[in-house]
Amino acid sequence: MIPILAAMAALLPATAGGQSMSPMRGEVVSFDDRFAVRVFPGNPYGHRIRIEVKVYDQSFRPVAAEIMPASFMLGADASRPVLVVVPFAGAAERKVRICTESIPFPGQNTQIRAQICGKFLARRL
Amino acid sequence: MGFGRLRVATFSVVCATAPASAATQGVLFEATVSPVCTLTVGDNGLMVASPDLQTLSSKLGGGGAGHVGLATTGGVEISVDPVTAVTVPPADATATTWTPTYALSGSHSVAETGSATQLDDPGSSTVTVHLVGTKSGADSFAAGDYEATVTVRCE
Repeated sequence: MIPILAAMAALLPATAGGQSMSPMRGEVVSFDDRFAVRVFPGNPYGHRIRIEVKVYDQSFRPVAAEIMPASFMLGADASRPVLVVVPFAGAAERKVRICTESIPFPGQNTQIRAQICGKFLARRL
Repeated sequence: MGFGRLRVATFSVVCATAPASAATQGVLFEATVSPVCTLTVGDNGLMVASPDLQTLSSKLGGGGAGHVGLATTGGVEISVDPVTAVTVPPADATATTWTPTYALSGSHSVAETGSATQLDDPGSSTVTVHLVGTKSGADSFAAGDYEATVTVRCE
C-alpha cells in the first residue's frame, strides 16, 4: 500500500498553479476621478501558490492602476481581498478587466498560466 | 363520571365553533448567482521535435498535452492567448510560429480550437491544451531547451 501511495504522490503535479476570483462582473459609480473595485482571488489547491492581479483594458492592454497587493502568496483553499483603484483617465466611463493570474513554475517546456478575468464597468458622476 | 363527560363535550363544542383566524403569507426569497470560474492546472505540457526538426509539438509521439480543470456556474468564456513568453536556445535565431489550441471534455464538449468559446451551462470540465511550434522554409529548431507559456483564460 505504501509504495503505491508513494508512486501516486510522485505523479501528482507539484508545480501546478490556478485560481478563482470573485466577483467576475460588476458596475461601479464614482464621484471621484478614480474608482475602486475589491476582488477576492482564491486558491483552489491544497498548497500555497503565487498569484498576481493585473488590470487590462478591453483590448488586453495593461492599465495603470493601484493594486493592493499586486502579487502575493495565497494559502491552500484560501482567498483574500485585493483592492484595485483605477483612474478614469479623463473618460466618463471605463471598462476594464481585472485578472487573477497564477505564476507558472519553470521546469517543463510547455507551461500553463491560468487566468481568471472579471469585467467591470465604471461610470463617473 | 357524567359531569366529566359533559365537560369534555363542552370543550369540544368550543373548539369546533371558534372562528378560524389563520392566514397564509408567502415569504419571498431571491438570489442571484454571478458567473464564477475556477481553473486548476493539473499538468503542464511537453513538446517533442519532429524528425525533420521543423515542428515542435505536444501532439507528437512522446509529447503530452497540458490539462486544466475548469469549474463554472456558466456565463463565462474560455480562450487561450497567443504565445508571447518563449525561451529558446541561443543557437535558434529564426522565427517560430506558435499555435496554442484547446479542447473541452466533461460537462462541456468543445472540439479542438484556437478560438474563444462561450460556456453558458454550469459544470466541470477538463481543458486539454496543445502547443505546436513550426519553422518555415529551410529553418529548423536548434539543439537546446525550449520553454513556452500558454495562458488559459476564463472570463
